[in-house]
Amino acid sequence: MITEQGRILELLLSGAFICQISDEDAWRYLKTGSNGDKIESQLNVLNRTLASVADGDVFFAAYQSLNDNERKQLGSQFQEVSSNLVPLVEWLLLVQQANSADMPVTQGAAIRLNELQTTIEDTPAFAEQLEKISRYRLFGSTSTQLDGQLKQVFKRLTELGYVLKPNAEKQIFIATGKIEYLYDVLKFIDETEALSLTEQAENAAQQGSLL
Amino acid sequence: MNQHLHKAGVKFLNALSRHSELIMQVYLSGSLDERKYNSKIIENLTQLGILWRPESDTQLRLKHAVRSLLEGSLHDERNRQIDANVGSALASLKTLAQHYKEALHHGRFAESEAHLGDLTEHVYALTESLANSVRMLFSRINNEFGYVASIDAKIRENELAQAQVSELLTQLEMFRFDELSEQAGSNRELRHLLVVTLQHSFSKVTQELSIVQARLLELIGRFREFRGRTQLLKGFLLHMEQKPDFTPTNYSQLSNVPMLFNQAASILKPAAVDVHRIEHEQDLQQLVGAIKAYDRTKSRQHIERATHNIQVEVQSDAHFDENKLKLAVEAYFCQVIDSGERLTALDYHQQHELEFDPEVWIYQVVGGYQGLTLEEQSYFTLDLDGANHPIYDGNYIIQDVELGLR
Repeated sequence: MITEQGRILELLLSGAFICQISDEDAWRYLKTGSNGDKIESQLNVLNRTLASVADGDVFFAAYQSLNDNERKQLGSQFQEVSSNLVPLVEWLLLVQQANSADMPVTQGAAIRLNELQTTIEDTPAFAEQLEKISRYRLFGSTSTQLDGQLKQVFKRLTELGYVLKPNAEKQIFIATGKIEYLYDVLKFIDETEALSLTEQAENAAQQGSLL
Repeated sequence: MNQHLHKAGVKFLNALSRHSELIMQVYLSGSLDERKYNSKIIENLTQLGILWRPESDTQLRLKHAVRSLLEGSLHDERNRQIDANVGSALASLKTLAQHYKEALHHGRFAESEAHLGDLTEHVYALTESLANSVRMLFSRINNEFGYVASIDAKIRENELAQAQVSELLTQLEMFRFDELSEQAGSNRELRHLLVVTLQHSFSKVTQELSIVQARLLELIGRFREFRGRTQLLKGFLLHMEQKPDFTPTNYSQLSNVPMLFNQAASILKPAAVDVHRIEHEQDLQQLVGAIKAYDRTKSRQHIERATHNIQVEVQSDAHFDENKLKLAVEAYFCQVIDSGERLTALDYHQQHELEFDPEVWIYQVVGGYQGLTLEEQSYFTLDLDGANHPIYDGNYIIQDVELGLR
């Protein structure tokens, strides 16, 4: 039998994100006491280190020291992350606007596909938005039906680990810690590039209310 | 006087119950649609002080007392007002306590009883209103201000609630228990009301308020976080609209790569099967079984296995080594027939200097004899020359066979 430590090591080495939603046992294990150090020392053997983002809510394996190979790998990874940002952000806003409470999607938020679909069907603007989102290369839907587009988007999101489908029978998805990671990435870009995104949004909102 | 008051009260309550439909309609919609109801009823209700007209050109509304009665007993969330006038309540308590003590002092017991009754009423009213305020705050927190939709509205609601909590706390500071206890003196009833009851309620309310405050702060933190996130998302999209060619610098080429963009690639590949592990035997067997089943279902569709003609022309290519042996046996049989003499198989073997192993030869002769049809067998006689096994009885060892004609 594989130990809990071994199982987590395997998860980390296979490039998984560990959060409370995706694997609560593993997450708790990493959270408690010196377990993190044990894993860390084993990861170090393979030039990996235990990294955590979103205030320690999400764990993954990072490179310990970077050489040309690692840099190449990270470079292509970064290209992927940054090209996926726009579709993902548009999707996040669509889900937020379509749910009546106007709550942003956060880790652990449940998205009921049927409810979402009803709202989007009833609102032509949302339907248009969904069509646009589903056409991005990230989601790659070719369907002309709203139903197919929505399913394809959620299928890709599940594959990428942004949402989780706890019950195969039910169309309910739960956002994982990778969503928090996404917010962190946005915040980081905002700060590093000095985009002051929050102010931009606020100004736009004020101008909107004046009009 | 008392009788009259009783009568008026009953009349008032009856009016409330008789026109409950109308009152609830006004309560829910805010104002009365005067065309729907009889003007006489409206007149009556206005006189009783249930409805009133704030200004001459506005519609009739419910009196605040009735509204707050309904809000209180229905636990309505819309009730956001917190009545926290502890100062005046305390002043009236002190006054009543003085009345009571004075009446006692002069021996007017009937009057003192009435004052004590009033005082009790006021004390309980104060404790109830405090408990009510706290309950109301809690109910608003518990559904996270669910009665307003947007995050901004929730933040405003939260700020209002926080202001109310701090207001309540400053009001509570007006409790001076040393003064109250001085006021109560050594009188048992007064002490119970002014000191014990009030202190009990006071400590409970302050405790709960501190919890409320903590929850409110936590909530507002979350709401602000939500708002921040929403703005971040919207801001990003706005930025991308204005500058569609914006791409962030490739942080992975920095000398110090931020943790966010340092994500190691997957290095684990599936392990291979070890067929020498005994504990996996069962599983592996099942796997193999599954493969077979899989193959069988698949093979039905294989084209190359469909029925077609098989070429049979080249069958004679197949040669058997035994052919020589068989021919030799046939020759042996023929010689016996031709000569008509008995001849043992080994003699024939020697005569013709056959190259077969003697044992194989004898086997083949016996086999050849057995291979004949019953009719043909009846022309020949095959005598076995051999001996019983020296140790294991029932075993007969054949050394030679003799073939002859009958």
